[in-house]
Amino acid sequence: MNAVLAERAARGTLFQPVDIGHPLYAAVTDPQTAFWALVDKNKVHEANRDPDLLAAYSAKAGQFEQELHALRFGLKPSGVYLNPTERCNLNCTYCYLPDTQRSSGTHMSAEILHASLGKLRDYFRSVMPADRKPRAIFHGAEPLMNAPAVFEAIDAFADDFVFGLQTNGTLLDDKALDFLTSRNVSIGLSLDGPVAEITNATRRTWGGKSVHDKVLRAMEKLRGYGSWSVITTCTTENLPYLTRMIELFHAHEVPTCMLNTVRCTLSGARGVKPADGEMAKAFFAAMDRTYELYQQTGRKLMVANFANILIGILAPTARRLMCDISPCGGGRAFFALAADGSLYPCSEFIGLPRFNGGSLLLGGVEAALDSAAFKAVTTRDVDKFSPCGDCAIRHFCGSPCPAEAFEMNGGMDKIGAFCDFYKEQVNYALRLIADGKADDYLWDGWDEGTETVFALS
Amino acid sequence: MSQTIKQTVNAPQTTPSQNAPVAPTIAVRKSCNPDGIGLSHYVLMDRKAAK
Repeated sequence: MNAVLAERAARGTLFQPVDIGHPLYAAVTDPQTAFWALVDKNKVHEANRDPDLLAAYSAKAGQFEQELHALRFGLKPSGVYLNPTERCNLNCTYCYLPDTQRSSGTHMSAEILHASLGKLRDYFRSVMPADRKPRAIFHGAEPLMNAPAVFEAIDAFADDFVFGLQTNGTLLDDKALDFLTSRNVSIGLSLDGPVAEITNATRRTWGGKSVHDKVLRAMEKLRGYGSWSVITTCTTENLPYLTRMIELFHAHEVPTCMLNTVRCTLSGARGVKPADGEMAKAFFAAMDRTYELYQQTGRKLMVANFANILIGILAPTARRLMCDISPCGGGRAFFALAADGSLYPCSEFIGLPRFNGGSLLLGGVEAALDSAAFKAVTTRDVDKFSPCGDCAIRHFCGSPCPAEAFEMNGGMDKIGAFCDFYKEQVNYALRLIADGKADDYLWDGWDEGTETVFALS
Repeated sequence: MSQTIKQTVNAPQTTPSQNAPVAPTIAVRKSCNPDGIGLSHYVLMDRKAAK
């Protein structure tokens, strides 16, 4: 064992204990490497003196530290979120984009979109291996408000990007669905309630009309398609209905959903923010229901935001969602192109002008990545601010989201909006691992392409 | 809206029993080349579906 680890173990500070609420197990972590172990809860305070655990860990600690550092600071962007319009036909309570943009903003022209994708293609070719394609996701406001430009771009750059589209679903007519599915575009929808009354509380048109049934129709048409998902934004309005959302999604054969906490970047969202404890209670009831449905039917409904917490624990480099890591993926694993041609670290920042990293066509990606606007996000490090810097699970959580921390809590060196909820998610995930159930919450073959580099069991 | 945020993750309270069997230690870590780009507004979990 190297001298630093030996000294930390001797001082009893190498492994930090975590009560995960399991009858037999507690966790210990070395947060510096995102290492964890589940140990007999009655022996947890002996972990720093356990010769077998210390020997096994010390043999790998350096490798884990390098891996985590590379994941946190060594990535090059491999995805872009494209906002082809500022406009949206809905006026959702919690949107992170300003009302004025969504109601009366502009579309990006087809010519500018084409030129932008050309420049982005060239950038990604310069930083990505030749055998990997970058992802380009058309994104909110509502990208199908500018469908002609979007569809033209998808066909023009079919060989250069893997495309996705996140939409409110209200403009997904048969023609649009045929176009997107025939080109294997990954499609994300949004629905907040199991019945119209609940969805209407947060998601409706500018005139107050319901969109619930339109989204259900889109879901029905997508049944059987290989690559689609639905996002539910969890608020005070729908928290009692999350279990029913799971039942609805499972019945519609939705392969993947997200039960996201509302992002509290703008003030409208904070008015429907659930308390952490209430969020955890409703969320875990919904997770328990996914497990029951899987046991009953043999078919999984993956809750991607929780699955990502699990994967972040089991295989840190295999995480798909780049919010739950510090620094987050904004401005380093991906970035966003706004409809006015400006680059932002993430779409979440598009309503905040101070995070504008400059024009794609005039300045380019590298200039944006090096800009002070991007650096403010890409240097947000949970190791360096309180209380995260002392937290045993800080690299399973990442204290998302920097936009919320900045706008809601007063700075990049502040915690995110749902600190206690993240702790409870990690505890729940570790309990599943202790009980041998983790794979039941992940898609089959999730670890293909991974190598087991540590195993005690 | 205000909330009380706990400052640290809870440390477990132990209740030693000399005769109870000791639960075996569990620890697993897998590794791969990172390529995640998802965010809370969009995610594609299955790598195969992206190809």
